[in-house]
Amino acid sequence: MGSKRGRNEKAVEIGLPADCRMAAQTALLAELLGALDAPATQIDGSAVERVDTAALQLLTLFRREALSRGCAVSWRDASGTLCEAADTLGLVKALDLPAAVPA
Amino acid sequence: MAKILAVDDSASMRGMVAFTLRGAGHEVTEAENGQLALDAASAGGFDLVLADVNMPVMDGISMVRELRTRPAYKGVPILMLTTESHTDKKMEGKAAGATGWLVKPFDPEQLLATVKRVLG
Amino acid sequence: MSNAGLAQFQQVFVEESLEGLDTMESSLLALDEGGDGELVHTIFRAAHSIKGGAATFGFPEMASFTHEAESLLDEVRGGKRAIDKPIVELLLRSVDCLRGMFDRAKAGEPLNDAVSDGVRGELAAMMGRAAPAEAGPARRGSDQADGWIIRFQPHAGMLAGGNDPLRLIRELAAMGELAVEADLSRLPSLDKLDPSECHLGWTIELKAAVKREDIAAVFDWVEDECDLAIEPRPSAVVTPAAPAPANITEAATARGSREASPESSSVRVAIDKIDSMINLVGELVITQAMLDTFREEFDPAKLPLLQQGLTQLARHARELQESVMGIRMLPIASVFNRFPRLVRDLSQKLGKQVKLDLHGEQTELDKTVLEKIGDPMVHLVRNAIDHGLEMPDKRRAAGKHETGTLKLDAYHRGGNIVVEVSDDGAGLNREAIVGKAIERGLIRSGEGLSDEAVGELIFQPGFSTAAVTTDLSGRGVGMDVVRRNVSDLGGTVTIRSKPGQGSVFTITLPLTLAIIDGLTAAVGEERYIVPLISIIESVQLKPDSLKTVAGGGELFRFRGEYLPVLRLHELFGCVGAKRAIEDGLIIVVEGDGARVGLFVDGLVGQQQAVVKSLEANYRRVQGVSGATILADGSVALIADIGGLVRLHGQRKAA
Repeated sequence: MGSKRGRNEKAVEIGLPADCRMAAQTALLAELLGALDAPATQIDGSAVERVDTAALQLLTLFRREALSRGCAVSWRDASGTLCEAADTLGLVKALDLPAAVPA
Repeated sequence: MAKILAVDDSASMRGMVAFTLRGAGHEVTEAENGQLALDAASAGGFDLVLADVNMPVMDGISMVRELRTRPAYKGVPILMLTTESHTDKKMEGKAAGATGWLVKPFDPEQLLATVKRVLG
Repeated sequence: MSNAGLAQFQQVFVEESLEGLDTMESSLLALDEGGDGELVHTIFRAAHSIKGGAATFGFPEMASFTHEAESLLDEVRGGKRAIDKPIVELLLRSVDCLRGMFDRAKAGEPLNDAVSDGVRGELAAMMGRAAPAEAGPARRGSDQADGWIIRFQPHAGMLAGGNDPLRLIRELAAMGELAVEADLSRLPSLDKLDPSECHLGWTIELKAAVKREDIAAVFDWVEDECDLAIEPRPSAVVTPAAPAPANITEAATARGSREASPESSSVRVAIDKIDSMINLVGELVITQAMLDTFREEFDPAKLPLLQQGLTQLARHARELQESVMGIRMLPIASVFNRFPRLVRDLSQKLGKQVKLDLHGEQTELDKTVLEKIGDPMVHLVRNAIDHGLEMPDKRRAAGKHETGTLKLDAYHRGGNIVVEVSDDGAGLNREAIVGKAIERGLIRSGEGLSDEAVGELIFQPGFSTAAVTTDLSGRGVGMDVVRRNVSDLGGTVTIRSKPGQGSVFTITLPLTLAIIDGLTAAVGEERYIVPLISIIESVQLKPDSLKTVAGGGELFRFRGEYLPVLRLHELFGCVGAKRAIEDGLIIVVEGDGARVGLFVDGLVGQQQAVVKSLEANYRRVQGVSGATILADGSVALIADIGGLVRLHGQRKAA
C-alpha cells in the first residue's frame, strides 16, 4: 500500500484497499496525514471494490487540505465502483475523478 | 453474496429468515440471543446483522450497543426485527446504534427487499 | 420463495408458541404466588414472540389478540400498572383463548370465537379503551410534484449507525434523474477528522414526479439522525389527492388464509443425543469393517476375534436402538405443567385448599404416550380434588391440616414408567361404593370383598354415570374410560386407598410404544407375542380342572376365583394347535380390569419385539395390536390383551 518517504522526495503513492469502507479508514487516515508533507501524492484506487461515504469524505478532505498546502494530488487509477460512488455523492469535482460511465 | 448474522430466540422466525436469505444466495449464521450473537460476531466480518429485540440472556438493544463499540462493526448495517407497537423500541434501537428496522410481520419478499436495500 | 418451503417454519412456530403459552401460564401462576418481577419479562417475551410470529406465519387474528395482552403486559413491565389478581386472571384466560385459537387453526376453523372476542374486549377495557377495529391505518393524502429539492444534512453519528448517504442517494436515484451537490463547508481539518463521523451535507434535485411520502420513506430510518427538508422544485405545481390505496387489509387477509397444513408432528432433539448416535453408527461401521475381514478367508484360529466382533456388533446395535428410542423420549414436565392451573381453578371453585406437589418431572416418556396420558391424568386429578380431598372444616375436624396435598409423581420402575396421582384425603368410601355397585347391578353384595376388589369396582364400566358425577369430574366420563385410555397405551391403572388417609392411583406404562417386552407363545404353526406387562403368571392345568358353564364358556380356578379360558387357536383359527388342556399352557393375563387365561401350546421364549402397525400395513384386527418380525424372519402377531378381554365379553353377551 503506502510507502515511506523523505521530506524532499517526490511523489508518494497510496493504494486504496479493495474493501475501502469505514473499518479501513483509521489506517488510511494515518497514511494520508503522513502524505500531507509530500510535494505530490498519487492515489491508486484501481483495487477498490467496496467503498462508502466515510472513505470518500476522507479522500475529499485530504485532497482539499493537500492542495491548500501546495501539494499535488493525482489519481493513478480509479475503479468504476469508486467513480460511481463519487458521482452519486456529488464529489466527482471535489475529488477530480472522472465521471462514472453510465452502466 | 453477503455474510449475514440472524439473531432471534424464536426458532420459527430465525428459521424463516435464514431459509429465505440462504435461498437468495446469502451466507447466514444463526444465533438465538444477543450474547451468542456477540460471540459469533467476534469470529467474522458480517456485512449485515438482523436482530430481534426481545430475547432472553441478552436482548437485541444491548447487543447492538455492545457491537457498536467494536471498531469492526462501526458502519455495519444492523436491522432490528421489531413489531409495530413499539415505536419507542425502534427509537431505543436507533439510539443504541441500529441502522433501521424491519417491522414484523414481514414476508420473505419484504425481507429480501429490505436486505437488498440496506446492502445496496 | 415458495410457501411450501416456509410451511415447515409455521409448524415450528405452532410448537414453540404452545411452549410459550405453557411458560406464560406457569409464570403467571408463580406471579400470583408472589414471584419476582423477572417473571413479567418472561411472560412479556413469550407474548411478544407469539405476536410477531402469528402475523408472519399467517394468523393475523392471533396477532391482534396477542397484541392486546402484550400491551397490558407492557404497561405492567414498564411499571405503569401493578400486577394484581384480576390481571393475572384475565391473562390466564387469554392464554386459554390462544390455545383455543391454535386448536381451531389446526382444525381449519375461524380463529376468533365468542370467548376470544370477549376476552379481547376485556383486555382492551382493562386498558381503558375499546378494542380497536381491525381496519387498515388511515392514510394521509400525499403531496405530489413533478420535481423535488431535498436538503439533507446528516448528523455526525449517522455513518457509524450503518446508514450510508451513498445508499440513500442511490435509492433516490432509482426514482429519477438526480443532480447532487455536496456541501463541504462543515468538513473539519484532516487531523481533527474522526473518519466514522459524517460532516458532509447534500442538496439533491430530483427531477421526477413522485410522491413526497415516497421520498420520505427513503429517509425513514434516519429521521432523527439528520436534518431533512423536502420541497417541491420551484417550477413544480399541482397537489392532487393521491389515489386511494388498494385495500391492504383485505389483501393481507387473503394471503393469511392459507390451506390448513396436514398434521405432521416433530420432535426437538438435544444435539448431544444426536452426537451420541452418530458416534455409535461410527462404531458400528468400524465393527462391520472388522467383521468384513472374515469374508475372504476364515482361519479357525481367528474364532475368538469373530466372537468378539459379534459381541460388539450386538452391543452397538442395542445401544443404537436405545439411542434412537431416546429421541422420542420427552420429559413428563410438559404434562405436569398443566396441573398447577387446573388445581388452582378447581380448588377455588370448590372452596378447598389444595397444595400441589410435583415430583419426577424430568422422567422421560415416549412422545406418543406423553400426548395421550394427559387426559386420563386430568381425570384422576379432578377426581382427587372433587371426591378425594375434603373441605377445610372437615379436614380440621379429622385432625388434618386444612390444606390437602395432591401429589403427582413419575419414575422408572423396571422397564416401565410409573405415574402416581395421590392425595391425603378421605380415601375410598367403601360403603358408598359397594352401595352404588349393588344399585348398578355390578355385584349382589359387598360381603367378603377385599379392599382391592372394592377399589376395582370404580373402574367398572357403568359404575360412574352422569347421575352421580358432579359438574367437575363429570363430563360423563368415568374411571372405566381412564382405564381404557391407559390400556390403549399398553399400560395399567390401579388404586390403593386407606380410609381417612387418602388414595393413590398408579398408572404403569411401557417406556415406549415402539418396542414391547413380551413372551413368545406357540399356537400351532403360529407365534404370538404376549406383552409382559399384562402377564400375571402361567400355569399348567390338570385334565379335570376346567369347568364348563352354560353357553359353552370354560372356567378355571386361579387364586380363589374363576377365570375364563380364551383358546387362542379358536379365536384366531390356528391349524395344528394342541386342544387338550393338559397338553398346553394357560397364560394368566390382565387387561381392561379383568383377568383371563390364554390357552396356548407353550412358551417359546422371551424377547423384545419391535412393533409394526397392522393397521398401517393391513387393517385393524380385534385382539391384535400389531405384528413383529421374529429372528427367523417369520411374522408374529402381538396379542392385544384389552382387546381380547373385550372380545370375550362380547361373545359372552352374544
